[in-house]
Amino acid sequence: MFHLSQMDQIFLKSLADVVRTSRTTSQYDKLTFTTQTIADIKNEIQSRQESVRYQALLKLFFLAMEGNNIRWAEFQIINLMGSGDFQLKLGAQLAAHLVIDTQSQGLIMVTNVFQKEFKNGHVECSATLSCLGTIANKDLSDSLLPHVLKLTTNTKPLIRKKAIAVLSKIFTINPLNIPGNLEMVIQQLQKETNISVLACGISLFCSVMKVAPKLYPLFLSIVYDQISKQKSNWLLIKLVRISNKLISLEPRFQGKLIEHYTRLLNQTNSKSLQYELIYSIMKYFKNHSQLYESAGDILKQFLNHQDPNLRCLGLECLTHISSSAGLMEFQEQILESFKKSDYFSKLQILQLFKDFTNQQNFQTVIEFFIKYSDLESNHKIIESLIFIIMKDKFINVDDPEKLLLMYIPVIAQKIDTIDNAIRFKELLFELLTRVPGLKVYSDQLCNQILQTYAIQSDSLQGPTLNIVQRHTQLKYSLNHREIIFKSLIMIVGESVKLLKLEALTNIIKFLEQLNILNCYESSLSDIDSLLFKIYIQIIKTDPSNDLIPQIEQLIKNIYIKLHNISIVKISFFYESLILNKTKDQLDQLYNLYAEDLPPINLEAQKLIKPPEGLDITQSFQIDIEEIEKIKNSNNDQLEQKPIIQQLQQIESNQTEQEDQNTLIQKQEENEEELKPLNSKIDPIPKKVFTINRDEELPPGINQNDINKSKEEE
Amino acid sequence: MIRFILLQNRQGKTRLSKWYVYYDDAEKVKLQNEVHRLIVCRDTKHTNFLEFRNYKIIYKRYAGLFFALCVDVSDNELTMLELIHLYVEVLDKYFGNVCELDIVFNFNKAYSIIDEMIVGGEIIETSKQVIINAVKNIELLD
Repeated sequence: MFHLSQMDQIFLKSLADVVRTSRTTSQYDKLTFTTQTIADIKNEIQSRQESVRYQALLKLFFLAMEGNNIRWAEFQIINLMGSGDFQLKLGAQLAAHLVIDTQSQGLIMVTNVFQKEFKNGHVECSATLSCLGTIANKDLSDSLLPHVLKLTTNTKPLIRKKAIAVLSKIFTINPLNIPGNLEMVIQQLQKETNISVLACGISLFCSVMKVAPKLYPLFLSIVYDQISKQKSNWLLIKLVRISNKLISLEPRFQGKLIEHYTRLLNQTNSKSLQYELIYSIMKYFKNHSQLYESAGDILKQFLNHQDPNLRCLGLECLTHISSSAGLMEFQEQILESFKKSDYFSKLQILQLFKDFTNQQNFQTVIEFFIKYSDLESNHKIIESLIFIIMKDKFINVDDPEKLLLMYIPVIAQKIDTIDNAIRFKELLFELLTRVPGLKVYSDQLCNQILQTYAIQSDSLQGPTLNIVQRHTQLKYSLNHREIIFKSLIMIVGESVKLLKLEALTNIIKFLEQLNILNCYESSLSDIDSLLFKIYIQIIKTDPSNDLIPQIEQLIKNIYIKLHNISIVKISFFYESLILNKTKDQLDQLYNLYAEDLPPINLEAQKLIKPPEGLDITQSFQIDIEEIEKIKNSNNDQLEQKPIIQQLQQIESNQTEQEDQNTLIQKQEENEEELKPLNSKIDPIPKKVFTINRDEELPPGINQNDINKSKEEE
Repeated sequence: MIRFILLQNRQGKTRLSKWYVYYDDAEKVKLQNEVHRLIVCRDTKHTNFLEFRNYKIIYKRYAGLFFALCVDVSDNELTMLELIHLYVEVLDKYFGNVCELDIVFNFNKAYSIIDEMIVGGEIIETSKQVIINAVKNIELLD
């Protein structure tokens, strides 16, 4: 330690000087400045003059706040905590949490320092308790516990409340200290009148319940006693919070609280206390209708409030209403608050409706969210809507036809992410599989959704999904519109047999638009499949139709674009044509695929050496003998097919007969039940679609569709 | 329970930080940056509380300073908002028309005031007068 002369003291920098210099120093000079200041502090902190040491301590504190490491000063600070000068002691105690942590070696020295401070005046004792509350670890807590316990009986409420607050930390760090000591504290709190001390006591009980919940009977009576007579909102909030934990452990306690909660709910204007009460009532007091209703009224005020914080907290309370009937009561307020809410609150509301939408409010919910989606939350809204629709195998859907023709096209227009496009695809497939008969509307659905695609198809933007096709190894990228486009094309392809000629004509006209073929190049093979199916369907029903040349031209266009039609497709195509087509048209089509394939590109050939013996200038043609072999093997299969079909038809007829018998029985039973209602039924009944939620039916297969197609064949 | 308190300006400079749970130095810097990044871009239309890791951040902006508390999920948000407001009122009464510079040059006083309101992460006093009297008693001994 050294003594600075008066001259030296003039040139000492105070805290204010250091702060001003730090603020005006540029970043490049900061390191120099910091190093110089730390060097000065190391000297000054060893001075004999307390004013100098105090300034050094404050400067050190400031440097720590600037982000500099001051752990080297741990010993000096602990030393200062035991100083005779109160100013120094206080400064060191305030700075202690910056250098001392639970693993510090210096904490051993702190024990003696604190024991000495607890015997001093109430101001020093209070500052020491605050410091202990921040830096306490297990060893320090165990050694200082008796001293802290003694302070809980101090005459000053300031000391008592801080001692109890420190005790709650000590009990949390080492729960073994609780038995024996907690009873003593409870006895003191029973005689306590100061609200702050009581509030700290309730916090102590909350801490004890976290680590030793079974000790709750010790303070049950004191909590009830305080709830019945307290008027301070801060204390009441803590009491209501601890009561929630007590109710879950002791359900009989709930009955005793009804009267007090009702009184508090009616009397208080404090929003924080109201929120705490509503939260507790919604969770634990569902069976008490009067109290529940009163809480519900206040909850509605929260949901309608201008303050977004109160609206958010109101929604938080609603998560504790476990039934959808309960939520229906607040539906209007929730939907109103959705319009004014920020993104996170909107997510909260969407989650609520995901859990609690039912058949009654399904239509309202869907229409509302479609109307009020915005750019920021659109993808989350669409994700939630798809979830609500598909939930539990469409349990919320009572009118699948309306869903398919009214809501699904609108949802498709709003989709702007790949994830949602994939979910939408799954929704469509699932819906059309589970509801027999809906495939008839697939052309209308296609028209409604894809017409806008035709207009906007020049601007295909956004993130893409990269796919490698397995059998061709072709790489292509799909954005969300193309995913929906592909799925719709596939659905129409599956429904071709159910569609009328007019519908098929519209589809061909749509596909003839050149933009579609240019913009959706990745989907050309799907369009190709669809065209084949339409082509075969038209040839079977009307071989002289005018559409046929248009389809052939389209197929040729696609072939030119694709440059690579698979052999499997050709054989399937020829097989269908052999059965159904007239010879001259067949020849024309044959010529479509009989032309020579172009030779290997010479530019590409420069990089790749052709194998020896291969003449790249000669055209590559499939051996005619091989084609004959394929045809003959196909012929064998075709001969056996009618026999197999006959056997299958006999089986299906038998099962159909059985089904019809059971149907007749059911109808007779239904008629008897519906006799009194018959007068109310419309003379022309509307077509009703039922959703098949049976797990055993394989996806994509419907028994009625199979039977119909076999009859047609 | 309050886990930490941060006072930051719009540029992300921390004017005051009090930690009631142990974090090492690197973690503290990371937390300060993360909290600042979360709250600085929020609009007045947004709520004053948000989820942060397994806890909650309750914050309020006064002029150029953000007062942020990190609390447990079970804590009452409105109570914490009122606590922040109480702290600002106490600072205002103590310094007389408080501004950021008062906290920069007298950070030790700001820490003393916090210590009279919160100990071990729990609120111990909510009366403005009692808090100011306690701080003035400390000054008398200085």
